Amino acid sequence: MLQLIADGVVIGSIIALGAIGVTLVYSILRFANFGHGELLTWGAYLAWTALLGIVAVTGPMQPLGPLSFGWPLMASLLAAAGGTVVLALLLDRLVFRRLRRRGNAIGLIMASFGVALVLRNLLQFIFGAVPEFYSREIQVAIRLVPRDVLGGLRVTADQLFVLGLTAVSVVALHLFLTRTTLGKAMRATSVNPQLARVTGIDVDKVIRATWIVGAVLAAVAGVFSGLTAQLRPQLGLDLLLPLFAAAILGGIGSVYGAVAGGLIVGLAESFSVPLVGAEYRAATAFVVLIAILLVRPTGLFGEKA
Amino acid sequence: MTALHVDALEAGYEPGLPIVRGASLVVEPNEILAVLGPNGAGKSTLIKAVAGLVPVSGGRVSLHDRDITGRAAHMLVHEGLGFVPQTENVFVNLSIEDNLDLAASVLKVPKRQRLGELYALFPDLARQRRLLAGRLSGGQRQMLAVARALVGAPKVLMLDEPSAGLSPKLVGIVFDKLVEIRATGVTIVLVEQNVKAALAIADRAVILVEGRDRITGSARDLAGDPQVAALYLGHYGGGA
Repeated sequence: MLQLIADGVVIGSIIALGAIGVTLVYSILRFANFGHGELLTWGAYLAWTALLGIVAVTGPMQPLGPLSFGWPLMASLLAAAGGTVVLALLLDRLVFRRLRRRGNAIGLIMASFGVALVLRNLLQFIFGAVPEFYSREIQVAIRLVPRDVLGGLRVTADQLFVLGLTAVSVVALHLFLTRTTLGKAMRATSVNPQLARVTGIDVDKVIRATWIVGAVLAAVAGVFSGLTAQLRPQLGLDLLLPLFAAAILGGIGSVYGAVAGGLIVGLAESFSVPLVGAEYRAATAFVVLIAILLVRPTGLFGEKA
Repeated sequence: MTALHVDALEAGYEPGLPIVRGASLVVEPNEILAVLGPNGAGKSTLIKAVAGLVPVSGGRVSLHDRDITGRAAHMLVHEGLGFVPQTENVFVNLSIEDNLDLAASVLKVPKRQRLGELYALFPDLARQRRLLAGRLSGGQRQMLAVARALVGAPKVLMLDEPSAGLSPKLVGIVFDKLVEIRATGVTIVLVEQNVKAALAIADRAVILVEGRDRITGSARDLAGDPQVAALYLGHYGGGA
């Protein structure tokens, strides 16, 4: 029981970080970006590329304490976040901005499917389809709760790192959105872009900030996914539906809803494995999504239109 | 020097389909100019185009003799042009204080001092500053919308039908507030359907017909001209 909760929270953390980007883009740029999953994949592979570069210069990565990785992966994570931001801004400049200016809402969604296909195939072309790992160190799980208490609980140091950095990211985002002028401008633009303009807010700057925040969190989620499982070109595609389920479940447009939604989807997936089998894991998230939307159509934190 | 000069402006939402077709306005400093006209005359489109929200395809707009034609809406606010939209004119997910605070942060004005001045002008808002704007009544919301537009101490304040959806009593309160605001040195351009209330506080008025300025005159003269009222101001008999 405790183990299922812990595993669900770890998966949920990764989904939550990705879902924040989906919900921010939806509320500020007003379209469902089906290419967002690929930002996670590219973030993960950019970190892997940076890691290869660093260890080529500094020698093999030495793990930090009980973690399976050392500082080179942390430096690679920063580089990957920067690279993913550049990629997201480039995509906006080349594809989404043109369609946005024409007011082509359906075109934006269809273009995001196209962007996803191009990004995924390009990545597979460059890196190949063979799974990769950041570290091949064998990690021994730490027993936090004895087996006779609710089945016991064992977690790896990497999982604790994922949970800790997710919490830091969410708190940092909360402070950014509530304490900074740009963060408040993002919240205002999400509610009423025209009013934001006549309040003096540079909406183009807000849009750039949205891509930056979404891309940074996508890169972090991608690296976490690679760290807790493996790197595969399908990583983002497999996470795409849970990301949208989390964003919708939390109330599309709500950052806090995306976090709650991510955790719920993660827990639902985790609990489904012993109950209905791993093959129905993804479907369980949607059962929960449908159940919650039947009771609360606007999602957990959504507001009525 | 004119406060706002709109010269032969053409503007519309679709290319090649202008709604405003050569409208001109001259707004003198510290006056209240009412922009009136029948439904569909292009009144709202005209001030939205001046505010940078509707594409301009021809003509020229200058603010205190500076050419501002086609500038982005957010830049115009920094230039001293305030705009109060007709609907959805407050951030409903923010409190009264946060609505004003956000505008002050974006426009980089001394927050405490400016909000203090605005709360003195709108004591009702001061009393409920922590309340979410989405919970305000129509009249309070309109006051907040006006206060939000005043945060940057604009030279010219444009309002798009501030009486829309308000009871006659509230229209009176809002319009009295506009007179108070003018007394602080702000020039006001008021687009209105409520002709009687608008002409009661305006110095001059422009009647817009089919996207062009058809008649300009003093508010008193236009209010007393039955032919003008019958031809162009269908709402004159009604309203507050």
